[in-house]
Amino acid sequence: MTSTFQAGDPETGVRVAVPLGALPRSGAWFRSQSARRLGFGYALLAPAALYVTLLVAVPFLFSLYLAVSDATVGEQMAGFIGLENFKAALEMDSFWIALRNSVVFFVVAAVLKSLLGTSLAFLLLQEFRGKKLVRALVVIPFTLPVAISVLGWKWMYDSQFSVVNWVLSRLGLIGAYGTDAWPVWLGDPRLALVACILVNVWRTFPFSAIVLLAGFTSVPNEVLDAAKVDGCSFLQRFHNIVVPMIFPILMVGFLFDTVFTLSDLSVVYILTQGGPGNATQILPVLAYQIGIQAGNLGRGAAIALFLVPLLAPAIFVFLRNLKRREY
Amino acid sequence: MTLFAPDRDPLQVTRRQFVRTTSIGLAGSSLATMLAARRAPAQIKGSNLRILTWSHFIPAYDAWFDKFAGEWGEKNGVKVRVDHIPHLEIPARMAAEFAAGAGHDILFNGSTILTRIYYKTLADLTDIYDQIGKKHGGWIAAARSPVEVEGRIYGIPVYYILLPMLWRKDLFEEAGVKPPDTWEAARVAARTLKAKGHPTGIQLSHCNDANLNWRSLLFSFGGTETDPSGEHPTIDTKEMREALRFGKALFDEGMTPEVFSWDDASDNRYLASGIASWIHDAISAYRTTESTNPNVFKNTYVGLEPAGPGGKRVSVSAPNAFMVWKFSKNQAAAKEFLVHLMDNDKQGMIESTGYNMPFLNDTAKKPMPVIGSDAKLQVLQDFPKIVAFFGYPGPYTTQIQEVANLFVLPDMFTRVARGQGIDETIKWGLGEYQRIFAKHKKA
Repeated sequence: MTSTFQAGDPETGVRVAVPLGALPRSGAWFRSQSARRLGFGYALLAPAALYVTLLVAVPFLFSLYLAVSDATVGEQMAGFIGLENFKAALEMDSFWIALRNSVVFFVVAAVLKSLLGTSLAFLLLQEFRGKKLVRALVVIPFTLPVAISVLGWKWMYDSQFSVVNWVLSRLGLIGAYGTDAWPVWLGDPRLALVACILVNVWRTFPFSAIVLLAGFTSVPNEVLDAAKVDGCSFLQRFHNIVVPMIFPILMVGFLFDTVFTLSDLSVVYILTQGGPGNATQILPVLAYQIGIQAGNLGRGAAIALFLVPLLAPAIFVFLRNLKRREY
Repeated sequence: MTLFAPDRDPLQVTRRQFVRTTSIGLAGSSLATMLAARRAPAQIKGSNLRILTWSHFIPAYDAWFDKFAGEWGEKNGVKVRVDHIPHLEIPARMAAEFAAGAGHDILFNGSTILTRIYYKTLADLTDIYDQIGKKHGGWIAAARSPVEVEGRIYGIPVYYILLPMLWRKDLFEEAGVKPPDTWEAARVAARTLKAKGHPTGIQLSHCNDANLNWRSLLFSFGGTETDPSGEHPTIDTKEMREALRFGKALFDEGMTPEVFSWDDASDNRYLASGIASWIHDAISAYRTTESTNPNVFKNTYVGLEPAGPGGKRVSVSAPNAFMVWKFSKNQAAAKEFLVHLMDNDKQGMIESTGYNMPFLNDTAKKPMPVIGSDAKLQVLQDFPKIVAFFGYPGPYTTQIQEVANLFVLPDMFTRVARGQGIDETIKWGLGEYQRIFAKHKKA
């Protein structure tokens, strides 16, 4: 391919294609229209590039640097210690529990959020009185400050005053307070993890619903009507028409959700601090406890970086699928 | 480095040594003069002082502290600003201020004491620590542990928070059981009263009270966490085994599984609900029942730390201290304020309604403010002799801070309560302690 440059005489208006290599290198190119367009393009891109560099690349590289150093929160200088922090993390019993819990947390929460989010999105698509009010109400869990909403759940899970338990008990579904049939939500190792996941799902499934709703409304009714006329069932229409058409939106929604779920520190930290006996320990909480509270920044960063191998494959799959659909 | 220093006459003084020695001497004598005159030096006038502290469990204390700081500022021409944040947020805030090299002049550490992590960036407060001690009859024995590093003092311990026995005298008398003066008596009472619908509870979960309470039990059983140097964990002992065995019995006989889910305030609510036969908690749990459940308030009594099998009593408490950043541009005002605060130690204790326990011997003398004149609380005056902090009998090190942050010790009691064998639990716990100790640089 030969690169050419449109040049011409401004007086005669004659324009000719000139090979780029034939242009003088005295700076004329920089004053050319192409150069100006290129420069303008880069100028428009610059804020986004700067934003990504400052807010994503720099912190990520900094955390890589911390993870291979003996940095503590109280020392300006840190020495290089190679992979010691990663090795130390792998030797920790609580790290493996946290890793397992993080995966369980993510998978269960993703499944529940998909089901609930899709159901809610379909419900919100229907026409009914007070639809706008309901749409505003369903996003409240997502918009409330996390500390407030999770503290509310902490009360609802209280071992003695749990409103959930008292209601279930009055309905005869569980035993009375003080008996073995009275669930201690945050005290039983299995229930505690379930309780934490449920709060995460409650908080973020409205986000999934809103994303899906935006996708559903972008599907033209004519296409769906045509499919109906052709005899397609609801599931066939959903699987063969709706999902392919909103696929890019779905992928972006999943991507956000994956990141939100795996990096969620607040729910577990406020509800259980990883207890009882590490039963609800997850990687972000462990990283915070070691990195910030105990001051061992290097090891905290190393533990947090173990989220990358968990996140990277998911992000890779989402983005690859997205790209395939584009072409 | 003396290794490469040329031979020198020991009496010879270098220019650098001379400047350093005279500077320290001048600073010390200026401070002494200033303290003697009870007047701030001219250089702090017109300056700003920013204080970061926690949101105290007794709101009235915060109101008093803010007013107290403001009045001191007005008197000395210093513009004082006090910021309150939840104590759990302090480590993150401290890390942020350190990284930025800017922030508050004075900062508070409560329960999570970070002196050994930050001491290189904290102002040396040895001078005012010594002077305050000298002026107020000295400090109690446990005072140095949270704030001392390599013989220097980097924080002023302001008060500690006790967790005594809070027990229901009416229920104990009704059941004919002895007051919980020993851990064994507490177990018998819990077993007897659980059968009557009044169990007890100590957190077997991830919260600070779990760290404090189970350590009190372990140390009272003669166990230790580290050696006196603080460099080696000492949890694989006969006493530790005894304490774990006792903890399991106490849970099985006297508690319910609720304790696995408890936070720092759950036992307060347990007492206030009228169900608990006894709890091991700060006196705020007792005080709040005055309004929430007057009957419980009337019948709840405060006991000394229960004695272990050998008669030993160790009460592990939550220390609180103020520190000053080395990068603070107003260290003179910060020091002057802290001296003034400690000069009013008794008033602080009054304003906290006896919740703040004093580190200064003069304030700790009987009768202490508030608690000395309260028949039920008088027993708290005997605690200063038995108070200890994390790491006992060693100092409060960074290693121990991490052990506490990861709740290793309460998790050992939790594992045993859930049925894991004692040897297996000790093996796990020792592994965690050793791994943490090995990875930390000596501080």
